[in-house]
Amino acid sequence: MIIRKKIKSTATILALFFVIISCSTISVFSPEAYKQAVDLKVESLEVMSFATMPYTDYEEDVDFLSTELSKAYEFSKGRPDNEISTRQWEILINPDGNLLGGFLKRWDEEETLSQMFVTEMQRLVADAFDTIIGLESGKIDPSEIK
Amino acid sequence: MPNFNDFILTVKNDLLDFAKENLEEYKDELLKDGTQFVKKTKSDLERWTEGLASGTLSPADFEFLLKGKKDLAEMEALKQLGLSKIRITKVTNSIIDVIAGSAIRTFL
Repeated sequence: MIIRKKIKSTATILALFFVIISCSTISVFSPEAYKQAVDLKVESLEVMSFATMPYTDYEEDVDFLSTELSKAYEFSKGRPDNEISTRQWEILINPDGNLLGGFLKRWDEEETLSQMFVTEMQRLVADAFDTIIGLESGKIDPSEIK
Repeated sequence: MPNFNDFILTVKNDLLDFAKENLEEYKDELLKDGTQFVKKTKSDLERWTEGLASGTLSPADFEFLLKGKKDLAEMEALKQLGLSKIRITKVTNSIIDVIAGSAIRTFL
């Protein structure tokens, strides 16, 4: 009877252990994803700095940046167990949102934006990229996995 | 000759030491990140309110920034969620190491 109870409690602990492991799955560190996010942060802030000037003068730069952002999103989406990082990219580039995607859309719609608004949005977008970079750099290096 | 009860006792003590060390470190990191975000939000709101009052920010700009801050908060929360998942993975690996270490020290 005591042995049965011990087996039952051990099985419960093991089951719980495996549930925790399965719920905690997250992608490993990718140097490519990290570099992509750092490079795009620099490029995005650079393009944003021109938003006090007419959108039409920078349309090509915005189109190029948007394509690079879409590539980064698709790369993130294609990695296994990478839903959290992918959701972060979605929020950042969503044209109907209020970060980088929404900023570029608003610049297009209003042709020019005020200096203070641009500066403040650059701060928000920089912090937003930092959340993506911070999560990626916290991921476990594949060589550390046992 | 050590028995299974000695092993369980060693594992229990080793795991307790491990948990104390790691949970304290995690709590400190989480508090630091949370405090930093609140501080930044406060100073952002002060600047934006001044900008709105002086006319350097339009009401539409102000509203856009506030919504942007909300989106940023969601991204920050996702980062914390991801980091806690990574920590669980690391802790799981470490628990296996602790148990293996306890077994070696007890039986060998």
